[in-house]
Parts: sequence; structure tokens; C-alpha cells
Amino acid sequence: MSSRLSPSRVSFASVTPNNLGTVRKLNSVLFPIKYSEKFYNDIVQPQVEDFCQLIYYNDIPIGTMCCRIEAKDGEAKLYLMTLAVLAPYRSRGIGSQSLQHLIDAAAAHTKPKINAIYLHVQVSNGDAKRFYERHGFKEVGLYENYYKKITPHDAWILQRDIEPSKGAEG
Amino acid sequence: MPPAGIPPSRALPSKESGLFKEVLHYYEDRQLKKGLKTADVILKKFPNHGETLCMKGLILTHLGRRDEGLDFVKQGVRLDLTSHICWHVFGLIQKGQKNYEEALKSYTQALRFDKENMNILRDAAHLQTQLRQYDHLVETRHTLLRLRPQLRQNWIALAVAYHLSGNLTEAKAVLEQYERIIKNVPDYDVEFSEILLYHVRVLEDLGDYTEAIALLDASAKERTIIDRVAIMEFRARILSKAGKDEAKQAWQGLIEQNPDCYDYYKGFLSSRGIDIDAVTDENRSKAVQSLHDFSEQFSKASAPRRLALDIALGDEFKGLLEPFLRTRLEKGVPSLFADLKSLYRSPEKREIIEQTATSILSTLAHPSTDPAPSETDPTEYIWTLYFLAQHHSWLGRHKQALELLDEAITHTPTLPELYMFKARVLKRAGDPFGAAKCMDLARTLDLQDRFLNTKCGKYRLRAGLIEEAVEVFGLFTKKDAPSPSQDLEDMQSLGYLTEEADAHLRNGNLAMALKKYDAIFKVFDIFEDDQFDFHGYSVRKFTINIYLNLIQWEDKLRSHPAYVHSAIEASRILVKVHDEPSIAAKSNGESHLSSAEKKAKKKAKKAEKKVQEEAKKASNAGNEDKGLEVTPPKDEDPDGTKSLQAPDPLERAAKVLKPLATQAKDNVEAWIAIYDVAIRRKKYLQAIHALNSAHSLDADSPELHIRVVDFKRRWSSLEEKPSEAVVTAASAAITKLLPDEVSLEVFNSQYLQQHSSRADAILAAAKVSRLLGAPRDEVEASVFNVLNAEVDLKLETALASVAFLNEIQSPRADEFREAARGKFELSTLFLSADELAAARKAVIQKDPVAEALEEKAEVIS
Repeated sequence: MSSRLSPSRVSFASVTPNNLGTVRKLNSVLFPIKYSEKFYNDIVQPQVEDFCQLIYYNDIPIGTMCCRIEAKDGEAKLYLMTLAVLAPYRSRGIGSQSLQHLIDAAAAHTKPKINAIYLHVQVSNGDAKRFYERHGFKEVGLYENYYKKITPHDAWILQRDIEPSKGAEG
Repeated sequence: MPPAGIPPSRALPSKESGLFKEVLHYYEDRQLKKGLKTADVILKKFPNHGETLCMKGLILTHLGRRDEGLDFVKQGVRLDLTSHICWHVFGLIQKGQKNYEEALKSYTQALRFDKENMNILRDAAHLQTQLRQYDHLVETRHTLLRLRPQLRQNWIALAVAYHLSGNLTEAKAVLEQYERIIKNVPDYDVEFSEILLYHVRVLEDLGDYTEAIALLDASAKERTIIDRVAIMEFRARILSKAGKDEAKQAWQGLIEQNPDCYDYYKGFLSSRGIDIDAVTDENRSKAVQSLHDFSEQFSKASAPRRLALDIALGDEFKGLLEPFLRTRLEKGVPSLFADLKSLYRSPEKREIIEQTATSILSTLAHPSTDPAPSETDPTEYIWTLYFLAQHHSWLGRHKQALELLDEAITHTPTLPELYMFKARVLKRAGDPFGAAKCMDLARTLDLQDRFLNTKCGKYRLRAGLIEEAVEVFGLFTKKDAPSPSQDLEDMQSLGYLTEEADAHLRNGNLAMALKKYDAIFKVFDIFEDDQFDFHGYSVRKFTINIYLNLIQWEDKLRSHPAYVHSAIEASRILVKVHDEPSIAAKSNGESHLSSAEKKAKKKAKKAEKKVQEEAKKASNAGNEDKGLEVTPPKDEDPDGTKSLQAPDPLERAAKVLKPLATQAKDNVEAWIAIYDVAIRRKKYLQAIHALNSAHSLDADSPELHIRVVDFKRRWSSLEEKPSEAVVTAASAAITKLLPDEVSLEVFNSQYLQQHSSRADAILAAAKVSRLLGAPRDEVEASVFNVLNAEVDLKLETALASVAFLNEIQSPRADEFREAARGKFELSTLFLSADELAAARKAVIQKDPVAEALEEKAEVIS
């Protein structure tokens, strides 16, 4: 069920209606945010299956990343809604591997072709910002009052352009 | 003029005689409609022609008109009692009804009038095998061989018949003869290979080891036995039995082929004079050394390392255990505890395991809020917590287990095993509702996992939520089945049937419980019937070795735990109905049905209608052959009341218990159940025998104590005395269990004194004093003794005590319940009725994950 990246202990599997319970469980402990039913409905759609993934370590689900596709004027961007790994599993490169997995998937995607990935980071979260910058993301703007109830309210907008991988043309 | 020897009533004019031959042809070709028409033409002129009537009946049966068909056949037989055709047809019909005894009688009749009919002989042989009439089987197989010696299977069939009848010497002689005359065996012939292996097995069973090895080696060299693994295994085993030195090498060779097979190591050690199940202090170090050498040789093999743990003691054990645990915890082997559980028989090993695992845990522990130290693997920590939780729970330390599990769940909340085991701990601690809830959460984490799904259903059954359980099971059963329950029953899921029956029983629905137990008995009947086809098939295909294993398995079929359990529980229900027939009457009438039961009834009706419609459709289809076997009738008893109200409950109980006297003779409960039925059927000697059997297994059994008093009381107040012989025998036997000079009261108080710290014995003594007419407050007071500090009170006994207090309508029942509640803090079984209902209701949640979450401020849509 999970495509193991040998010899790495990290592997990935698409989010499906069957493992949605695991995603809910992870989100509940990973984020100070409650996600709506619409969110869970969207992430199991077939067109985003490459971009909505459970992250496994030694075959145990320990993180998730979920994106949606935003198409505008014939251009498609990925919006990274969530990417997180359970606390005890951090600092061992799992997040980096996951983000790279996502960037590769985006680059290989053709219908539609993905031009960029972007996301919001709460301005208090410098660690997260640096993490994304290490992977080629750049701050492209500030979204004021992005968060309504948690402080600080503002969020950076970080974005990375995607070069299509070979074989993904057309 | 009819030919000589044919009775005038059977003889037909040549035209009709030709038609009759046509009928036979049409039947053979399964042109049933035409056959029926032709038979009717004959019957128009000769309405009393027995053979035609039988053929008509047979064809009608094949067309699905069974009752009508049977009438014609019976009529036909009556009109022509000396026709082999009539008897053969009758036998076929009876065989289709699985009435093997009667079928064999008919076949025997048929053979009287046609001694050399191959078909009838063959069928008779199969029936004789099914009925285990092996001496007759040998005769039949002899006749068949004499008639057709050129048919190879007839030789083998005779050898097998001898084998089954216990005459291995003759079996061997037949095989030798067969091998001498057989010619032109192609190379690599599987059939011949099987026969030679069988021959070796016969020699082995006869103890002719030298001959067996000679045949095996010769056949291996000539490549006539082609199963290489079988050659090696037979060779090693026989050499071992013969006590030959080469045995060691033979086992060594097998281990090199498959270093994870326990039996090979067992064989290897036995060839070195070590019985692995009874290692002595003299050969212990030799055994451990051997296994150590194998562990070095096969670095990936688990078997030698695990076996060494069985044998090693003390520090040596400790030294072996630590790396064993480490590698498996690192790898994350969920079954690790199950693998080691058998070591817990030794308190010393139990202690060492706890120490070792605890010290491993301390090297791994880290807070769940921060990244784990880079040199430790967070999953190893989780698996260690999981292992230790199982360890403590197994030892009854539920709280400790829960603490470890909660720590693990906070650390990694996505591993279903953690919730599954938490559910199990809660179940063991007496909280079936919390357990079911927890299992539901595990299921929600991975909805496509059938194992989780089944567990969840089982736990709902344990919590008494039958309808909700079936709903969950239904997620994985066939969608076109009449109902999930029906599908699981058709799939012969004994686990499901047993759990559902038990759940009904706990809910007090005796009718449905009995219905499900009956379904289990049916499954075993089918298992028994299923072997029938193999009596012909296996001989034809020369798969003798496996066939003989099948026969052996069938012979002890009903020793299966599901059968034993169901037979005991069903007999208890039937005894209750016998003692108090109003129970059965009560469950009748719709007014008592809960909404769930009503729904189930409606559903069953619907399904029934569907079946009927389909049957109608099918019967219009015309020529379709429905075969001779009776298809199961539709469910006419959806809520089980008919079964509960059926007459002769004791006879039915006796019937299901009958196999237990031989198949479960080491089971005290089985003997108690047999007693309860026998005494009510006035089978005094059988009752005594049951008591004696139980006594020799467990002289202190509390249930036995109650029965001994029960027998004495019934025996001394008999109205009609049984025969003199029975009286003498029974009196002599009972005196051994309960001396005449001891009064029942004294007997009871002696028993209580001997077992004053055993809760189940205290309860049994209280029950007996109630039986002897002691006042209620006195009985109550003695039940309360189970709560004393020095008494080891188990959950089951506490529950049984509550049930007993309720049964005698004790005013102190609630007081006891509250006290028990204090003793079993985690348990929800001692809640008041209202609280219990609420707890049960709370099990089913719309979204188990979501409801476990706290409210979050920020909502993102």
C-alpha cells in the first residue's frame, strides 16, 4: 500500500476515504486548527491524490501533507494546506524528504501542469520559514489578519517555482 | 413370455421395455423432461410398474419436486421389492438426503439382486467408509478388485480399506502385489510417487523401519518418488524412529533447507537424545549449544533463537533474551509478545522478561513533545511500550498496562495496534463498553482493514450491541447476500457464530442464542458430510496420504473448541427450558421484541420472500437439474422461538452432547453438562459416570460439588426405583463421592472449609446451602464472603455472584454490586441498570476520531 523508498524508512501513501481517520487523528494533534468537512472531502479527490499524502516512518503513519490545486488564467499552482510530522519524529529529515517528494510529484504532473507551490506560515514560526527557504521557497508577500483567532494573526506567503521534470512535457 | 428369472410384474412388452431403456438413457444424459414424459407413457399402460415409478420419482427429485418424487420412489420399491433398480434409486435418494445409514441398507438390498453391479458396489464402498464400517468396506473393495483387477485404483482402494480397518499387514501385501504387476509407469509420475510414499508410510506404521528406508532410498534413486521434501522428511523421521545415527545428518539437511521449521530442530535434537519438550539438567547445555551453533550458521533464522529461550535458564536465558528482544523491538514485530507468552509458565523467565524489557524501555524513553534523540528510534520506543503493556495486562495489572498504552498513544496516536490492545485491556478489566469504543477508534484509522473491522464487530458483540455489530460486519460481507449474518453463516464463520450466540445469551435472549448454536452444529454436520466426495475422489486421484489425514481429522472433528463450547451452552439452555418450560413460552409473542429484533424479523421476512421468488423462477426453468442433495430450506424461524419451543429439549441436548464424552473427555464443564442432562433423563449410570469423570479431572471443582449434592438429593427422593442392578451400581459409586454417613450439610461445610479462600467454591457452597433449604439471609451472608480481603475474587465469579443474588431475589443484591464495583475499579459491569444502559448507548459514536478531540479555536474551511 505504501511505496517504500528503499533504503529510507520513510514512505508515502495517498489519502483515501479509508485512511481519512488517520489523517483526522494526525491533524488533531499536529495543528491548533480544526479542519472542516469540506477540507476532508477535498483531499480524497482523485485529482489531488499525488499531493495529499500520508507520511510513514517504519510503516507507521506519522505525518501528512495536503495540497489543493488552484487554477487561474490557464496556470495551475499548488497550495500547500498542511505539512507536518509528529513531534518525536522531527529532526530526522522526514519533513525534507516529504517536501522533496511533493516537489517531484508536482514537477512530474501534467494535467494540469503545475507552475508553483505556495503556502502560508504564521509570522511567529521562523523555524518553518527557514525550513521552506532551504527548499527553494521565497517570501513573496504578507497576508495580514490571515488567522482570525490565534495570534499573531499575520502570515507570510512563501512560494517556489516548479520546473517540469523530463518526460513531463506536453 | 418374460425371460426366466424376471417376475411377471416387472416384465414389460417389448415396446414398453424399449421405452424403459430410453428412460434410463434420458436420465443418464440428464434430459429430465423427456425422461419424465417417456416414463409417463409406460405408466399409462402399466401404472404399477415399480422400476418405472422409481425412475419417475428419481427424475422428479432432480427437477426439484422432491416430496412428490420420494412418494413415487417409495411406491415403486413397495411394488417391486426384488429389483436392484428400485433399491438403487431409493438408495440414491436417501444418500441425497444425507441419510447414509438407510442409503447403505438400500444399496445392500440392491446388491442382493445384482451382486456385481460396479456402480452400486462403488457407492456402497463410499457409504461404508462414511459410516466407518471398515470390515464391510474391505469386502466390497475385494469384490470390486476381483471384478476389475485391471483398474489401478481398485488395488489402491483395497489397500486403503485394509489400512482403515487396522490391518496394515494386508495393506502392505496389496501394495507389494500392485507394484509387482504394474507396468509402463511414465517418468516422474505423480500418482505412482504418491503410492510409493504411501507404501513407505505403511511400512513405517508397521515398524518395518529398515524396509521403509530401503524402499524410500531405492525410490528416491530411481526418481519414482518425486517429492524431494517428502523424501527428506520421511527419511529423517524414520531414521530417528529406528534410532540410526544417520538421522542427525538427515535432520541437519532439512534445517539447511528451511532453518525456520521448529519440527526439524526437534527432530535434530531428538536424534541427539534430547527431547525438546522435556529437557533435563544433564542435556540442557548440550541442547542450547546445538541451537547456538545453528543460530551462528543461520543469522536470519528465528527458530533456533526462539527454541533456545525455551530451554535455557537463569543467566543464560537472560543473555539470550536481551538480543532477541532488541532486534524484534527495533524491527517492530507486533506479534512479539504472543511469541514469548508460552515462556510465562516459568515465573523466573517472566521476571527476567519484565526486567529486560523495562531496562530497554529506560534507554529509549523520551518525551512525546520533542524530537526523539537522534540515536534512538521513536518506533522502537513505541513497540517496547506496546510489549510491556501486553506483559502487564497478561499478569492482570490492567492499570499499569493502560498507563503505558496512554503514553504510547500520546507519542504516536496513529498506530491501530495501540488502540486494539487498549481495547483488550479494558475488556479484560471488565469494561466491554470502553473496549468496544476503543476498537471502533482503531477501525476508523484504517477502514479497509478487515481484521480491525472484524475485531470491532466482535467487541460490539461483547458489549451486547448485536445489531450494531452486524452492521460493521456487513461492511465486508457479500453485498448480494440476504444479510451479513446469513453470509457469515454460509461462510461457516465459527468465530462469528459463537460470539453472536454468546452475546444473545448474555442479553438473555435464549431463543436467538440457541438458534445460533444450532447453526454451529449444522456447520459441523456439513464438515462431516463434506468428506463423502473424497472417499471416491482421493482414491481415483491417488492422493492417499493426505486423504488418510483427512479421515483422522474427521474422526475427531467435534473436539473443535467451537463445537464443545456450543454443545455445552446449548445443553444448558435446553436444560433450563426443561426445568422451566415457561421460559420458552415467554419468548413467544411480538410484544417482547425490541425494535432491533423487530427490524431483524422484517429483514428476515424480506429475505425469505426473495428466496421464494427465486425458487419460483427456478422451478419454471424446466429441464434444470437440481441434483439429489437437499437444498437448505428457508429460514422459518427468524427469531429462534420455534427452536426454543421444540419438543424434547433433553433429547436434543443429549444428542449434541453425545460426541463430547469421547471428544472432550478432559473437559470438566463437558462432564457437568452431560450430568445435567443425564440425570434429568433418568440415565443414572450415565450421570454417575459423568460425575466420576469430572471428579478424576478436578476433584475440587465447585460445579461438581453442586452436582454431587444434586445427585444425592434426587437419588434419595426417587419415586420409581430403577432396576436392581442400576441401584446397586449407582449406590456404590455415589458413596465414593459422598460417604453415606456424612449429611449433606456437613458435606457442604467441609467443602467450604477446605476451599475457604476460593471465591468460586464459596459461591458454590452458598448455592448448595440454598438448595438444602437454608434461610435467604444466611445464604446471602455466605455469598458476601467472596468479597473478603483474603479471597481471590475473579471478575467472572463476582458476576456470577450478582446473578445468583438476583436469582434468589436478595434484597442485598445492590449492596453486593456496589461492593464489587469498588473492587473492580475499571469495570463497568457492576453499574446499576440505568448506568449500564447509558454506557452501552455511548459505545456507538458517529465519528470516533472527532469525538475524541477537544474543541479547537481556529476553523479552516
